Amino acid sequence: MIPQTFEYTAPKTLDEAMALLASGGKPLAGGMSLIPMMKLRLATPEHLVDLGRIKDLDYIREAAGELHIGATTTHYSVESSALVRGKCPLLSAAAGAIGDPQIRNVGTMGGSVAHADPAADYPAALQALEAKIVIRGAKGERTVSAADFFVDAFTTSLESGEVVREVVVPVEQAGTGTSYLKMPQPASGFAIVGVAVRVQRSGGKITLARIGVTGLSNIGYRAWAAEKALEGSAGSADDITKAAALVAQGIDANSDLHASADYRRHLASVYAARAITAAASKA
Amino acid sequence: MATTIIQTEKLVGKRIRRREDPRLITGTATYVDDMQMPGMHHAAIVRSPHAAAKIRSISIKAAAEAPGVVAVFTGKDTEKVGPVPCGASLPGLRVPHHYILAIDRVYLVGHPVAVVVATDRYLARDAADLVEVDWEVLPAVADPEKAIAPGAPPVHPQWPDNVAFVYNQEGGDVDKAFAEAEVIVKQRITSQRLIPSAMETRGVLAEWRGADRQMTLYTSTQVPHLVRTLVAGMLGLEENRMRVVAPEVGGGFGSKLNIYPEEALMGFVSMKIGKPVKWIESRRENFLCTIHGRGHVDYFEVAAKKDGTILGIKLKLIQDQGAYHQLLGPAIPTLSVLMMPGLYRTKNIRAEVIGVFTNCTPTDAYRGAGRPEATHGIERMVDILADELGIDPAEIRLKNFVHNEEFPFPTATGLTYDSGDYAAPLQKAMGIVDYTKLRAEQAAARKQGKLMGIGICTYGEICGFGPSPATPAGGWECGTVRVEPSGKVTLLTGSCHHGQGEETTFAQLAADELGVDIDDILVLRGDTAIVPYGIGTFGSRATAIGGTALYYAMQDLKVKMKKFGAIMLDSHDVSYANGQVVCNKMGKSVSFKEIAAASYRAMKLPPNTEPGLVSTHFWEPPNFTFGFGAHIAVTEIDPETGQITVRRYLAVDDCGNIINPLIVDGQVHGGVAQGMGQALWEQAVYDDNGQLVTGEYTDYTMPRAHMMPWIESQHTTTPSPVNPLGVKGVGEAGTIGASPSLVNSVVDALSHLGVRHIDMPLTPEKIWKLVAGGKN
Amino acid sequence: MLARAIPGCEGLEQTGPDEYRMKMKMALASLSGAFEGKVKITDQSPPSSFRLLVEGSSKIGFVKGEGLLKLTPSGEGTEVAYEGDAQIGGTMAAIGQRLIDGTSKMMIKKFFEKLAAESAS
Repeated sequence: MIPQTFEYTAPKTLDEAMALLASGGKPLAGGMSLIPMMKLRLATPEHLVDLGRIKDLDYIREAAGELHIGATTTHYSVESSALVRGKCPLLSAAAGAIGDPQIRNVGTMGGSVAHADPAADYPAALQALEAKIVIRGAKGERTVSAADFFVDAFTTSLESGEVVREVVVPVEQAGTGTSYLKMPQPASGFAIVGVAVRVQRSGGKITLARIGVTGLSNIGYRAWAAEKALEGSAGSADDITKAAALVAQGIDANSDLHASADYRRHLASVYAARAITAAASKA
Repeated sequence: MATTIIQTEKLVGKRIRRREDPRLITGTATYVDDMQMPGMHHAAIVRSPHAAAKIRSISIKAAAEAPGVVAVFTGKDTEKVGPVPCGASLPGLRVPHHYILAIDRVYLVGHPVAVVVATDRYLARDAADLVEVDWEVLPAVADPEKAIAPGAPPVHPQWPDNVAFVYNQEGGDVDKAFAEAEVIVKQRITSQRLIPSAMETRGVLAEWRGADRQMTLYTSTQVPHLVRTLVAGMLGLEENRMRVVAPEVGGGFGSKLNIYPEEALMGFVSMKIGKPVKWIESRRENFLCTIHGRGHVDYFEVAAKKDGTILGIKLKLIQDQGAYHQLLGPAIPTLSVLMMPGLYRTKNIRAEVIGVFTNCTPTDAYRGAGRPEATHGIERMVDILADELGIDPAEIRLKNFVHNEEFPFPTATGLTYDSGDYAAPLQKAMGIVDYTKLRAEQAAARKQGKLMGIGICTYGEICGFGPSPATPAGGWECGTVRVEPSGKVTLLTGSCHHGQGEETTFAQLAADELGVDIDDILVLRGDTAIVPYGIGTFGSRATAIGGTALYYAMQDLKVKMKKFGAIMLDSHDVSYANGQVVCNKMGKSVSFKEIAAASYRAMKLPPNTEPGLVSTHFWEPPNFTFGFGAHIAVTEIDPETGQITVRRYLAVDDCGNIINPLIVDGQVHGGVAQGMGQALWEQAVYDDNGQLVTGEYTDYTMPRAHMMPWIESQHTTTPSPVNPLGVKGVGEAGTIGASPSLVNSVVDALSHLGVRHIDMPLTPEKIWKLVAGGKN
Repeated sequence: MLARAIPGCEGLEQTGPDEYRMKMKMALASLSGAFEGKVKITDQSPPSSFRLLVEGSSKIGFVKGEGLLKLTPSGEGTEVAYEGDAQIGGTMAAIGQRLIDGTSKMMIKKFFEKLAAESAS
């Protein structure tokens, strides 16, 4: 459990960090994924650039109907922030479902999002929230949607030298209900399946449905078919069951020691039905 | 001289907080890794990534030239060091020569092949990556049943059938029992491999002082004296020139009741380089290189009458030994055989044990060591029998228990159960949970399509290992009580507690026995230069045997104190009470402190009076002690996902007299957590090539605090007649009772679907499939 | 073409008929390692199928993969089906079930995507 020799720099500003990253440094945020890999020597970065000392990356702000969450904000901050709890409870719920208290106190939102673990909790919520990821690179900033950000397992649209600067989620509208439910893999706490649901109801009908699924496949994804089936329906138990049955449609489900592909697909429908029911009851 | 007699409060039986805890929970205890020495070097071990391979060549040049490296040794250098010992002896046992570093072939992933020694731990680890091994990879086998099937790759080429031993035991007339049976139930039951997962991994620091020709070996062990005898032997060093110290030991669960290659290897390295050298096991190494537990495939058959009377039990036990025998490996499944009858009267038992070599980590004692496996099997079989006959699982147990008037009860496997009231804990448990009401609730729940189960386990535990003839290395224990000139009391014990709390319980015993303040008592253990030869802590033995040794040492000490007291009081008629010696005629007394001071000052001693106040007793127990109990688990199952919720867990244990109920509860809680870990979550999984795929805690599910239900701990008390304390032992009880009660509960929840057995761990997917498919 | 299709492949050197020595750099998330190994093509029955054997080892463990690739003309392109088995050993075997399945799927996907792209060009 001894890593290879590496250089370590902890810049105070993002500009300094960008310069170090441009010369080949590897960004370190909470280190909850990177450090264990380094201790096993599965990861051998030569230079770590610790983003943890950059003060203006740790914030949660509201502006123009959106919440802006700085990259080094810990999961615990996201989970416990009155602002997030009040204005985007789905994100707070997803943050609170991560790992255990020790991990949530150290791990950061930007780090987790950039790592793009296919069984992480945020991707489901960010997909359901149609979140935006603000990326900072040498040439400036760009913003991409969560749908475009997550590309494959551990693969995002981040280019070399770029970092996640903040995550932007919409403030919850009136008439919206949300829910995040997951079955954790008991050893790691990662999701065997996690489903995030955001629905809006108006005039007795579901007018908007956004469903993000994690753990099932190589990337957290939007369950388009299920969303479509739900939108326009009355949101009855039967409607929900039918829609939930579609969440795993066309998905090449993962299979491992903890859950076979069939079981994962089944769980996705069960958890989707439960999460939709819970969300619809709040909408 | 005072004349008042102080009636001190008795401490035995009190819930006293553990005296060792402050240093443990504030991180100020000293473990091997905390020790520093001038000139200390660090070792990193190069290990095989393959489960089976020949070593074509090893190139150490690059490693030897790396910064900070002072030496690199391979199997050729250490070939003459004695083999890692196996203490178990069975007829026909095949014992592979277990070199401390592989010579020309490796037999498991993690097999040590070279050691790199450097001035710094990081440099040693870096250089270890530079050792080049040219491997010729061979086919491996990781499953014991596959290993004994024809055509399996041989683990050790000299034994192509992979059979390490076959052990048979029989009692009574099994054939007659099965011929007369009205019903026979059969089931294959596995007890999966587990990783012991002590919080502190192993670690060794060896310090060779060539000028004195003396070695001190600091090692995280449960058995320092055995390490001294055996490792000195491996190194060809006279035993009295070796001192073994077990500093603070952060848990063992049996995994440190062993002799490991690294203990001799560090001794060897220190002798070679003439400097102290330290090796600390990484968690990854701990998964691969410290023994595993369990690893059973059991084929049970039970013969019975229609009224539920058990007539006989047959067992074919396939034990996955791994690639080597560690210290007690082959003996562990024989303990399963001893425990086969459980608490039941049946006298007809037949067991065949087949020990099997696989290309996996060796298995050996892990909390319960053979008894949880046996209890799991028999308690599952009793439930299966009850199901077959339509008898309530509680009723069938009560029908078959050994009767109270039958103690001491000789079992079919040659044991003599010391004392018991086996119905008492079950009836108490049923009363606490209101069993009848629970059954009614279960029936109502089923009507609504809900899945609820009630699981019972009644277990017996062989505690207090053991009489010497039943153990490979002596089954006694030593205890010394030493009163210092100031009147402070030092207890030296051959037990080697590593979390069990004897610094508190032994002090409670001594405070009561000697009538002194508990704060005046210090308990020392774990240093062969301080403590007379002892056996160590394992097998729920420390209190029953180590405590008893101290008890007898204290009786002897009190005789000595009375002698001094009589001299000081100038009286022939004295007695010892509450830390004083009192003249029975005059009522005058001398205090403990006064006697202590006088015994060392030795001013007015009559001729032939030995000064000083030290007594040592080596106590050989006449029998094991046999704890028992009843656990009830109430579970609910989510039929859609297969997830299990443990709604209630009650343990009613009878461990004889209790010295500290708080510590007993702690032992039960920890034990149940480990048993629940096996029942619901933990499993060491190897792929077909012998790679451990649950080789980190990301995939090996250790129970966490938030996964545990509240565990209710209750007791009945049946003192043991085996020792004067009336204690039995409780270190392993929780683990033994937990897995059967939980599995019985979940099977009970699904029994109306035709489910009769489920192998552990009870993963949600397994349960979901059974609910969906309704079969086992 | 094979060299360009295998993700992370830094060079193939022919060592025999249908046998190559390979240097490969694997980088995925934070995991990275330099592998040395060999690639072998067997059971060729052009144009419909062949078997690909890939072996690599590094300080972090070893990988052995074997796959049968079946090529069926379909419309304008070719449909590629594969069935295979991968063995992973050493430290990599311990990094987690979750990662291995996802990773191997992604590598295979990349391989075929690149293969398709290379074939088209």
